[in-house]
Amino acid sequence: MRIFSLRNLLLCAGIALTSACVTSEVDQMVYNEPTAGIGDASVVILGRRHASDYETEPDFVSCVGQYVASRDKSVTVIGELEFLNALYPWFEPRTAPMHPQDIERLLEQKPVQEKLAALKVEYMIWLDGSTVRSGGSGSMACSLGGCFGFGTWTHDSNYEATIWDFTDRAEVGQVNTSATGQSYMPAVIIPIPIIAPVQGTACDGIGEQLLAFLSSKY
Amino acid sequence: MRCIRWPAQGKQAKRLCPLVTLALATLLLGLLVGCGPNKVVVQGDFPPPLIEPLPITLGVWFDDDFSKHEFFDEAKSKRDSSWVVNTGEAQVQMWSALLAGMFAQVVHLKEQPGPGRSNPDVDAVLIPHVEELQYAIPAQTNVKVYEIWMRYRFELVTTDGTPIAQWTMTSYGKTPTALLQSDQDAVNLAAVMALRDAGANFATHFTRIPAVQDWLRQKGVPVSTETP
Repeated sequence: MRIFSLRNLLLCAGIALTSACVTSEVDQMVYNEPTAGIGDASVVILGRRHASDYETEPDFVSCVGQYVASRDKSVTVIGELEFLNALYPWFEPRTAPMHPQDIERLLEQKPVQEKLAALKVEYMIWLDGSTVRSGGSGSMACSLGGCFGFGTWTHDSNYEATIWDFTDRAEVGQVNTSATGQSYMPAVIIPIPIIAPVQGTACDGIGEQLLAFLSSKY
Repeated sequence: MRCIRWPAQGKQAKRLCPLVTLALATLLLGLLVGCGPNKVVVQGDFPPPLIEPLPITLGVWFDDDFSKHEFFDEAKSKRDSSWVVNTGEAQVQMWSALLAGMFAQVVHLKEQPGPGRSNPDVDAVLIPHVEELQYAIPAQTNVKVYEIWMRYRFELVTTDGTPIAQWTMTSYGKTPTALLQSDQDAVNLAAVMALRDAGANFATHFTRIPAVQDWLRQKGVPVSTETP
């Protein structure tokens, strides 16, 4: 009995030590949700890359796409790079439409119109934001005998997803997510990084809301 | 070269000697390579443009400065490192794919356009030049992105070299800092983004250049001044 308790205690301590805390918040505004999901149409998730000091990470865009596609197989999510290459040069940072009304002018190009029809794009989701390291403290000294010390730092994620309806050429929803987490690195001979999954939490938060919008099952 | 032998003389020492020499040579070579500049030969995939081709037969002339374009930046201090960014091959690859999609027919010329040259008959010849390339890595700026900026100059001439139009254009590419991404990989990705941006800028603005518009009208090609 005592051994069992001790094992449980060690397990709990292990879990507590190897995972750092993340707090997250999700806000959603949906104006015109599809009642029966998106059917056999497709959705494309793209990152905004027009800001000069940051850009939405491609791996975050891919994470959100995988979250949606893996939880409802009936939702077809077109890969970001596949879409950008198929519609080059119309969705590059310089040329990407900034407002839903800009789609109208894009569709005046016959090859673009045909390609979008072939891809069956019903919804376009723009992700804008980034994850930044906002602060750090502590010190660590390393020598041949190993490392000693303690370091800690914070990561902040802020993302906004804007949903465009391709048929109505209108914005139909917005999802905001923010997540903050503290990571630690204690070092007694060997440094042990305890990383807070901040970006992953933001991805799950935004993915869950998008899934609720796009899927008939959720 | 004489080999220093430890007390274990004979065949074993003879066998070890070339191995020690090889190991030392490899170490020295490694140190020399480690001291050299950061070299990036830009590599990427460039898609064809999704655009209605102009009914024009365009000749293209890539001179050596363009097709072997290399940017060298010498370290300013001991803490900095020198950089060599070779964009030539990627430039040729990107512009060949772009122009092939933008025009009904594209002919790669073997000779620079000029009077008396035996070039095939084309409507016009495009000669691109990379005038300037700048880069920035996070170590140089406080912004956590790798950046590449390029300035191009284009000449549109007839087969005998008579100028039709000349204009400049800039392009910009950046990529965020990411875990497990070396400076070289990040600079390569930023350069690929800058090349894609150059293609996007060219494709969407070519028909808006006044001298090009006049020439297209002369050729009977309808010109739209609006950009989607």
